[in-house]
Amino acid sequence: MERDKNFVLGVYEDEDVLLEAVSKVRESGVKIHEVYSPFPVHGLDEALGYKRSKLPIAAFLFGLLGTILALTMQFYMMKFDWPMIIGGKDHAAFPDFIPVTFELTVLLAAFGMVGVFMISSNLKPWGQPRIFDLRITDDKHVMAIDLATNASLGEGKIAEVLKSSGATEVNKKSFE
Amino acid sequence: MQVTSSVREPLITGGKTLKDVTHDISRQVEGKPSMAWLLALLVSVGVLVLGGLALVATLWEGIGMWGLNKTIGWAWDITNFVWWVGIGHAGTLISAVLLLFRQKWRMAINRAAEAMTIFAVICAAMFPIIHMGRPWLGAYWALPLPNTFGSLWVNFNSPLLWDVFAISTYFSVSLVFWYIGLIPDFATIRDRATGIRKAIYGALAFGWDGAAKTWSRYESVALILAGLATPLVLSVHTIVSFDFATSVIPGWHTTIFPPYFVAGAIFSGFAMVLTLMIITRKVFKLEDYITIVHIELMNIVIIITGSIVGIAYITEFFIAWYSGVAAEQYAFVNRAFGPYWWAYWSMMTCNVISPQLFWIKKIRTSIVATFILSIVVNIGMWFERFVIIVTSLHRDFLPSSWAMFSPTWSDIGVYLFTFGLFFTLFLLFAKFFPVINMAEVKSIVKSSSEKVNK
Amino acid sequence: MAHSTSNYNLDQKFDFTASLKKSIMTVLVIGAVILAFGIITAMLGGGHDHANESGGHEFHWYQRLFANLWINNVYFTGIAIIGVFFFALQYAAQAGWSTAILRIPLSFGNWLPFAAGLMIVTFFVANHDLFHWTHSYIFDKDSPEYDKLIDGKGAFFYWPMENGSFPIFYILRMVLFFGFWVFFFNKLKSLAFEEDIQGGTSYWRKLRTWSALFIIFFAVSSSISAWDWVMSIDTHWFSTMFGWYVFASWFVAGLSAITLVVVFLKEKGYLEMVNQNHIHDLGKFVFAFSIFWTYIWFSQFLLIYYANIPEESVYFVERLQSDVYSPFIFVNLVLNFFLPFLVLMTRDAKRHAIFLKVVCSIIILGHWFDFFLMVQPGTLGHNGGFGLMEIGMLLVYGAAFTLVALGALAKKPLIAKNHPMLEESYHHHI
Repeated sequence: MERDKNFVLGVYEDEDVLLEAVSKVRESGVKIHEVYSPFPVHGLDEALGYKRSKLPIAAFLFGLLGTILALTMQFYMMKFDWPMIIGGKDHAAFPDFIPVTFELTVLLAAFGMVGVFMISSNLKPWGQPRIFDLRITDDKHVMAIDLATNASLGEGKIAEVLKSSGATEVNKKSFE
Repeated sequence: MQVTSSVREPLITGGKTLKDVTHDISRQVEGKPSMAWLLALLVSVGVLVLGGLALVATLWEGIGMWGLNKTIGWAWDITNFVWWVGIGHAGTLISAVLLLFRQKWRMAINRAAEAMTIFAVICAAMFPIIHMGRPWLGAYWALPLPNTFGSLWVNFNSPLLWDVFAISTYFSVSLVFWYIGLIPDFATIRDRATGIRKAIYGALAFGWDGAAKTWSRYESVALILAGLATPLVLSVHTIVSFDFATSVIPGWHTTIFPPYFVAGAIFSGFAMVLTLMIITRKVFKLEDYITIVHIELMNIVIIITGSIVGIAYITEFFIAWYSGVAAEQYAFVNRAFGPYWWAYWSMMTCNVISPQLFWIKKIRTSIVATFILSIVVNIGMWFERFVIIVTSLHRDFLPSSWAMFSPTWSDIGVYLFTFGLFFTLFLLFAKFFPVINMAEVKSIVKSSSEKVNK
Repeated sequence: MAHSTSNYNLDQKFDFTASLKKSIMTVLVIGAVILAFGIITAMLGGGHDHANESGGHEFHWYQRLFANLWINNVYFTGIAIIGVFFFALQYAAQAGWSTAILRIPLSFGNWLPFAAGLMIVTFFVANHDLFHWTHSYIFDKDSPEYDKLIDGKGAFFYWPMENGSFPIFYILRMVLFFGFWVFFFNKLKSLAFEEDIQGGTSYWRKLRTWSALFIIFFAVSSSISAWDWVMSIDTHWFSTMFGWYVFASWFVAGLSAITLVVVFLKEKGYLEMVNQNHIHDLGKFVFAFSIFWTYIWFSQFLLIYYANIPEESVYFVERLQSDVYSPFIFVNLVLNFFLPFLVLMTRDAKRHAIFLKVVCSIIILGHWFDFFLMVQPGTLGHNGGFGLMEIGMLLVYGAAFTLVALGALAKKPLIAKNHPMLEESYHHHI
């Protein structure tokens, strides 16, 4: 069977039931494709065994870049390219450069991180997501199980596991 | 699992389910605009056009149209600028600082507060831009661009230039923060819609799929943006205060300005959020989400920040006396008892005395009282900037240059223009965007809503 | 429910063992010995010549002792009152996460009566060596040393008496502030411990009210005490920011002390309910307020540097252009900003005890240097410095404070078992 085409979906109504279901389903040997929710469920990523996001590192690196750029720009312009004495201070009046340095640090950190987030999560205005169930942006949590990766188990067994874990409905969904 | 103590008041009333949340908030985006909304929009656009005439006249004739004179070179323009920027602090404060402090009540109001922030910052930015006289050349004065004079750069020692960086960073980061929060809600509307609306909200939703992986990253982004936005929001009004405090003008040069301006900004921002939210909850029937508890908590923030501002006023007065600097002492006595005494005492009454009424539980849980006081606070905060700016300038170092300021119709018109702009933008937002963050509110339905017996 | 606070021993008490007491006493004794050595060296000349440059007064070794007493009086008073303030803040903000650790900040308040005694005695013994404005000759119009500026602000210290006589207004404020702080602390403490016995939510509500009242009083008194005890040392100088600056410094130091004690108790096996998430939140507080302190420090510095008005900039000139103090300006910034900022930036650092122990210790030392820089230049001038006397005195005060705080902690239960938000705190998860 081809991967990423045919899914069994478990529909959950309550986030705490969902959290326990994720552990139960994983324990029974079923591999979860992904869980879709209308709101961020606290601890779900841990339950699914996802690694922590590396976005903070991106933010730090972009922020560092902003600091370096801002300081280089200001020292170059004010000290080397066209030195002027302003307010009786040194050409390179370092305390005066701190506000702009701070702002550019934050600007690059924020935009850099959001950019990485957009790319890594495939968010773009022309993005066409696969919708497993329209209610996942409304009031239901949906656990999607790929039939191909769980071929050894068979559809009936998966449905049974989902039901016993607290799913209120079990549906099938196929994509072209 | 979230546990909520029994001593906490519910943040969502009416026994709402997740489906109700979606429905109640998407409803006004999907429905036909109401008559009240259309009327309000008409008035706002009218004010915008009327004020726009003053703006065009000012640009055509030059800023000599304003009531400025040789002594008072800054007056309404910068008063309005600081006032709007101050208002533009509440949104980020609510979403960022309250997120870091894990105050769940922020969730119902952060969307509208952030929108308000963005619009207020746009209004604020109008004034420095108009004050350039020829704004189409402004980029050369405000940005480090190579120019025809070789490389005479902008002056990085000037707090006005720091402002350019601070305000533009603040605006763009707030915009991104706000938009990231909107994406999941746009997806909700997309999934309920058909036809052209589905296409539009689909594009706005950026292909959001609600996967746990995406949510996990989303939460990470939100937390870091909050962490970045918190010092950012402090820095913005700090740098605005530097515009004055780095100078040697008595009444302007005082070290308490940075934190005191920030407190004042939060104070006025919360007041404006209250003004807007009290109307919005009524018009859109969102009383179950923006409850009296929310209003009360915001009023408590108003008491705190109002008191901080009050302490700062007293500190300034005391230190002016303590310093023994004659010019400084005169500046403060003149504020209170000079020709602009009425502005000073309006400020004191509106900012320091009136918020103290919120100590009384009856008043801080009364919608009418809150609405009135929220407007009073914003009037007071306008006067605060006017007092700081105009009364400090109007007594020049040379008594022969002493002067008074009176606004011209052009000053007033440009101010009106920003009001029109602000309300037009806010009304458009309220109609076409979800005014409450559905995803976040849904995440606390289970733990913070009124328990209903089934 | 499987997971709930009832799994834990809620009546747990901190056992202040003899061996722990002994090790703290050892630190105290070592500090006292170092201090004694410092005093002896200073008495024998200590390398300083009898400089007559500043005001023509001869420098005595005990002036340095007094300055040291004053630094530690102000600093540890700050940590103690911040303990109470943090406790009150949790109630005022209706915070749930911190319930499990509330007893630790509260215990700091027990230092306040000692602090009050030490402060008042030191003032009476050392006033002329600490505060320039206590000299009556500067108010004497016929004296060549008459100081018009200080005479102008004399009422702040001497009202209603004549300038230069007895500083009754100043002393009254000191007594009032300590009096009210101790009163509020006792009130909060007794309500908190009654709650342990009686239960119910009424204590929580009463604590909220009293916390709000305390915070109002503290908002005013913290600024004024900073003017009184610290700013008036440099009597001519003034800065409107100063009250909040001292508060920021106290607050970070207090938060670090709270974190350090929590981590220490946790490692000893107490506070079972406290998990990495609570530690993480404390770490965030320390991180955030280190940045806040830096923000206040920088804003004050920048405005004075930029405007460069001699009356104001003299404060920084005295420090930056001094062989004795200029290195400490940078020590101050490195210990209190760069190190905490860089080390605590990552999530892991805020969740692990070892990082927090290192950073919090650095910060507690760092903010001592902050107060060192506020007090010594104005009192000792170029006769000051960081030597044996400073190290010894800091160790003595630190050990004494720890003995008092931990001793009080051991007397009462460690957990506020009837606090209505205990369950929330237990389930706290970031």
